[in-house]
Amino acid sequence: MFSSSFRKYLFICKTRIIRSFTYRFDVFGNILMQTIVMVTTAFFWKALFQDETFRNGITADNMMTYTIMSSVLSVLFTTGVERRIQESVEKGSIAIDLMRPVNVFGMFFAEDLGNLIALLFQNLLPILLLGSLLIKVPTIVSVSAIPMFAVSVILSMAINWLTAAIFGMWAFTAISMDALFQVKKHLIRLLSGSIIPIWFFPKWLAGILNALPFVYIYQLPLDIYIGSASNEEIQGRMLIQLIWVLILAALFYLFSKKSLKKVLVQGG
Amino acid sequence: MITVRDLHKEYLVSEKGKGLGGTLKSLFRNEKKIIGAVNGLDFHVNKGEIVGFIGPNGSGKSTTIKMMTGILTPTSGEVLIDGRNIARYRKETVRKIGVVFGQRTQLNWDLRLEETFELLRRIYQIEKKDYLDILEVMDSILGIGELLDKPVRQMSLGQRVKGDLTAAMLHSPKVLFLDEPTIGLDAGSKYALRKFIKEINTIRGTTVILTTHDLGDIQELCERLIIINNGVMMDDGNLSEIVERIAPYRTLTVEYYDSIVPTHPKAEILSAADNVVRYKFMKRELTAARLISDLSSLHPIRDVGIEEAGIDDIIRIAYAKTVQS
Ligand SMILES: Nc1ncnc2c1ncn2[C@@H]1O[C@H](COP(=O)(O)OP(=O)(O)OP(=O)(O)O)[C@@H](O)[C@H]1O
Ligand SMILES: [Mg+2]
Repeated sequence: MFSSSFRKYLFICKTRIIRSFTYRFDVFGNILMQTIVMVTTAFFWKALFQDETFRNGITADNMMTYTIMSSVLSVLFTTGVERRIQESVEKGSIAIDLMRPVNVFGMFFAEDLGNLIALLFQNLLPILLLGSLLIKVPTIVSVSAIPMFAVSVILSMAINWLTAAIFGMWAFTAISMDALFQVKKHLIRLLSGSIIPIWFFPKWLAGILNALPFVYIYQLPLDIYIGSASNEEIQGRMLIQLIWVLILAALFYLFSKKSLKKVLVQGG
Repeated sequence: MITVRDLHKEYLVSEKGKGLGGTLKSLFRNEKKIIGAVNGLDFHVNKGEIVGFIGPNGSGKSTTIKMMTGILTPTSGEVLIDGRNIARYRKETVRKIGVVFGQRTQLNWDLRLEETFELLRRIYQIEKKDYLDILEVMDSILGIGELLDKPVRQMSLGQRVKGDLTAAMLHSPKVLFLDEPTIGLDAGSKYALRKFIKEINTIRGTTVILTTHDLGDIQELCERLIIINNGVMMDDGNLSEIVERIAPYRTLTVEYYDSIVPTHPKAEILSAADNVVRYKFMKRELTAARLISDLSSLHPIRDVGIEEAGIDDIIRIAYAKTVQS
């Protein structure tokens, strides 16, 4: 049973899914790009490892799974909230969003969720399929790791979306934040272990990164998936991941009220 | 119904640098300039009124409308809709109002008109039956029925405005805010829109607040005018009462048989050409009948014409007055 107020967000989400299927034309370009990056990275790791094993028992085979799953996760971490805010402020259509009896962030979230559901079919499945065909079938280390993986992916998505939303709030009060959003995007890619796992980084740097929220987006679920850390270690890190979700949720709650008060509306 | 108390809005305009460097720098420290768009407005609107909110370009009308509709948060002061502070309780309070901006649409470009309506039905949680009832009413006033299947991107401006008006009425708001609704419309569409406003006002008792630069809108619709300039209230009252106060005169045009210019102690001569003389006189001091009989006793008159001060004169004078003060 959904409360009636929840139902309107469900409908926004549904509208978005239908729209994504009707109007998305850039799907193939996106899949192609992702696949090229994925395959190149996978073969880079293969060439680098040869038949050797890394100190925590990682093999070239593990790295290929890591790469495929990183590409798959990157689809799940697609968010539109920053662009959505930025564009609405630029065009002044934020006025329309605000005159409706909705929680605007609830609406942005519902829209992102709708997009995501469309992307599961439009991007995630094709990439998983292409990865399996061109590289290898990315099997999880053990069946018993599945629940932990699922939970940590959901927490990752929460960290990722909250970070995007908090960054997006800057755009309420300033017109162009594009440059900043780009920097953030690339920083996350680098610092989250999405391309290079942080066990390859120098110890001191890995230490710093472990204290930031970003490694809890990619690195942790991927470690669980390929089984590159002990159970106790994983549990400890999932706790930190959960704490980050709570911290970011608190910041989000705090800032969202304030930022809406400062909304800028362009044009008559 | 609506109470506006000591309402202020300042815009912070920042001179931001270019590129990434400029963006980063402006996050921490930037040159800011404050523009006072609305500087202390106070007024009250009763249920069932149609209020024209007028003033020259840049006087703060749209800014005020945005604060009254919960879109912008006032720098200080408050707007109460039905006793509720809309900035504070935006989500609940916006249910009671409908908004149409002539210059932007709330209709979804990618959807058919009916699909946007359906989305709004869900967002406002309108019962299917009520929704169909409203659509029927809207169809009888605006002929919206034939547009329902049309993609919004293919609509003309006039059709789009009809769509927006219907969208704003779906949840049966108590107050309707219209910011320059007739902008860009042809005579027929303007007529339809004015008829619509009058009808929802009489049939449904909807309170209407509109801004416009169209004198016809003002003359036909507004019982009450609120005139602002530089974000300050300049005048507030009945249209006829404002006319009486700002332009309490008439013009009498007299055509004589000869080319002469008779004078009258209480009338001022505006122009005299050929046989025609135009007199301006105060309504308070002199009746038209008296003036005509006085003049005709001096010289035989062939024809006369009386003009009230036009609404355009009123607006021009009201705006000019506000610039001086
Ligand atoms: N987003 C904004 N940022 C900065 N200044 C703004 C912004 N919007 C409006 N202003 C300024 O506030 C003042 C009032 O603008 P507003 O749009 O309320 O006027 P208006 O009465 O609606 O004018 P018009 O009749 O031209 O529509 C103007 O000086 C305008 O330049
Ligand atoms: Mg305006």
